[in-house]
Amino acid sequence: MAELIAKSPCDGLLPATIGGMSLTEEHPGAMWAIAPFNGQLKVLGKALEAAHGMAFPAPNRATGKAGSRAVWFGRDMALLMGPAPDAGLAKHAALTDQSDAWAVVRLEGQGAEDVLARLVPVDLRPQVFKRGHTARTELKHMMASVTRTGPQSFQIMVFRSMAKTLVHDLKTAMEAVAARG
Amino acid sequence: MRITCPLCGERDRREFYYKGAALVRPAEGADLDAWHEYVNLRENPAGPLDELWYHEMGCNSWLKVTRDTATHEILAVQLASEAGLGGEK
Amino acid sequence: MRFSGWRVLREGLTGNKGWRPHWRDPEPKSEYDVVIIGGGGHGLATAYYLAKEHGITNVAVLEKGYLGGGNVGRNTTIVRANYYLPGNSEFYSHSLRLWEGMEQDLNYNAMMSQRGIINLFHNDGQRDAAVRRGNSIVNQGDDAEILSREQVRELAPFLNFENNRFPIMGGLMQRRAGTARHDAVAWGFARGADMRGVDLIQNCEVTGIDVENGKVVGVQTARGPIRAKKVALAAAGRSGQVAAMAGLTLPIESHVLQAFVSEGLKPIVDHVITFAEGHLYISQSDKGGLVFGSYLDFYSSYAARGNLPMAEHTMESFVAMVPAVSKARLLRSWGGIMDMTPDGSPIIDHSPIDGLYLNCGWCYGGFKATPGSGSVYAHLIATDRPHGAATRFKLDRFRSGVGLMDEEGAGAQHNLH
Ligand SMILES: Cc1cc2nc3c(=O)[nH]c(=O)nc-3n(C[C@H](O)[C@H](O)[C@H](O)COP(=O)(O)OP(=O)(O)OC[C@H]3O[C@@H](n4cnc5c(N)ncnc54)[C@H](O)[C@@H]3O)c2cc1C
Ligand SMILES: [Zn+2]
Repeated sequence: MAELIAKSPCDGLLPATIGGMSLTEEHPGAMWAIAPFNGQLKVLGKALEAAHGMAFPAPNRATGKAGSRAVWFGRDMALLMGPAPDAGLAKHAALTDQSDAWAVVRLEGQGAEDVLARLVPVDLRPQVFKRGHTARTELKHMMASVTRTGPQSFQIMVFRSMAKTLVHDLKTAMEAVAARG
Repeated sequence: MRITCPLCGERDRREFYYKGAALVRPAEGADLDAWHEYVNLRENPAGPLDELWYHEMGCNSWLKVTRDTATHEILAVQLASEAGLGGEK
Repeated sequence: MRFSGWRVLREGLTGNKGWRPHWRDPEPKSEYDVVIIGGGGHGLATAYYLAKEHGITNVAVLEKGYLGGGNVGRNTTIVRANYYLPGNSEFYSHSLRLWEGMEQDLNYNAMMSQRGIINLFHNDGQRDAAVRRGNSIVNQGDDAEILSREQVRELAPFLNFENNRFPIMGGLMQRRAGTARHDAVAWGFARGADMRGVDLIQNCEVTGIDVENGKVVGVQTARGPIRAKKVALAAAGRSGQVAAMAGLTLPIESHVLQAFVSEGLKPIVDHVITFAEGHLYISQSDKGGLVFGSYLDFYSSYAARGNLPMAEHTMESFVAMVPAVSKARLLRSWGGIMDMTPDGSPIIDHSPIDGLYLNCGWCYGGFKATPGSGSVYAHLIATDRPHGAATRFKLDRFRSGVGLMDEEGAGAQHNLH
């Protein structure tokens, strides 16, 4: 059988540095959706804590740290990024492998909020949207997940098939923000 | 127009999909008139109206939104699953 | 007062002192044979044909604002007869024929311009649908032709033929379609009705419909009660509210539709062109403005203004179709309230109340219907039988499911047509 060459969603598109900001592709490892069964949220939270050392995130929040994170991903759902979920979690939640389904990029540097302000209809300024905050929203008509991972850095996700559009839109906005000086 | 999603917070209209008036779904076996009323007939008020909106770009919840159709003011928002519109198990 | 070239010349030479108002401003009488609620295109055309075709002249048109202030003066003025389904097909055919004789008939310049409409298609499926629709239009007795990509390019070289997602493969053209000056249509019918004795009463909102023993007997208005043997609804976006005055609930939701006009540009767009992406339609007015629109805003609304996301979507579609237009500036935009039915087709029928007639559910296609609707509605009111070109616009089709006319196969959802 032929060996298929694995390519990441933004292969050949990134990295990019524009006006002191950088846009890089993230390779988060495994990505699994965890959707607790009816009434199982509490038990699942304990199991997640025991197995992976992080709480099940409340709406609009992310838990864990770089390399092993749980990002709230919509109603009654979180995305575990990094480790594959412990098999025991399957007792309390529906687990779905989404590892290759999402393009994940990181936007970092002075002006990152201004870039996103051009693309995302949610207030992402640091006084409102702090480290550990996340939002399911749209980015230029694409369904997106945006998480603040640091004082000037964001993790941004869209469906893998839209990777090129995502990079295009982000770079265009970065150029426009950089041009304002 | 901005809708405050009970889960996501205040969001722009563009994140939502609109379904229409939030009507109580007829019970199984309801007669033709009940279905006609549900599918076709509308009070269509110029004023407050209970509607179904879907937070498509956000958390994926169906919401029951009370909105003034003359001013577009949003008066109340609730998860549709908690609104007792029928169709429950 | 008749209009003619001689008249213009004479007035020009005598200081333009001979022009008179196009219609009277009468006080409402206490009773009429027929009261029409709504002085839009349909209400005015109905009054005109009642007088002209049926000799019924003891008629009042009651308008809550000013004549032509509703959708008739807010639309993108497209006139065509390229519907597919029986019911709509013969009706719009009838209407287009009336358009063709209307200006002579009314002695009024409505700037009817049969510049042709081109519905672009972008893939094999759309082309097949266009061919099928074209054949049905020819069968109904109207004109239709399929244009190749090169033929479209000749007529409209400014289109983006290479758009990745929506490459233009050709178009379905109806040459007899076009545009007309919308206000002038309202004014022409108003003048024609007035000349035949119809009272056009503005600033006269109907606030109640009087029903006794299942029969309509009159209306309550902002200018006092008026008795009437027959009452005919023609209130477009407000149909639901007016019907509610008689205790009726209609299968109608009111939604806002926006229209846009660019700054004046040199003549470039010679036809009406529709783009299947985002269901965009464009034409160029005689003043040079590009007139265009697309979808409803999708939510129920009585506000005659729209929201920005749909404005943005419409501009994006336009730029995708005609990249050069990204350099043009938008001059103005507005909204109108559409009476949307679950199958996207209108209702012209008796109501369950004796003497109360319904004409509503025009969605966003009622301008092209104006003369047709007026003529068949007048026929129904005068004879109590449907006109031959409008036998299928029944109210009970929604309850029974028989005879629905869902042109796009969108299903029973008011805002998807
Ligand atoms: C932006 C836009 C674009 C459109 N584009 C097209 C197009 O390109 N082609 C096409 O065929 N159609 C188009 N349409 C649709 C078309 O304009 C309408 O379907 C049609 O005008 C409706 O009929 P009308 O002219 O009688 O309505 P209106 O002009 O709205 O007349 C109804 C009248 O009733 C009056 N009224 C309401 N309530 C009362 C009351 N209680 N008492 C007294 N009077 C009352 C209103 O004030 C109004 O004047 C468009 C509509 C809009 C808004
Ligand atoms: Zn939400």
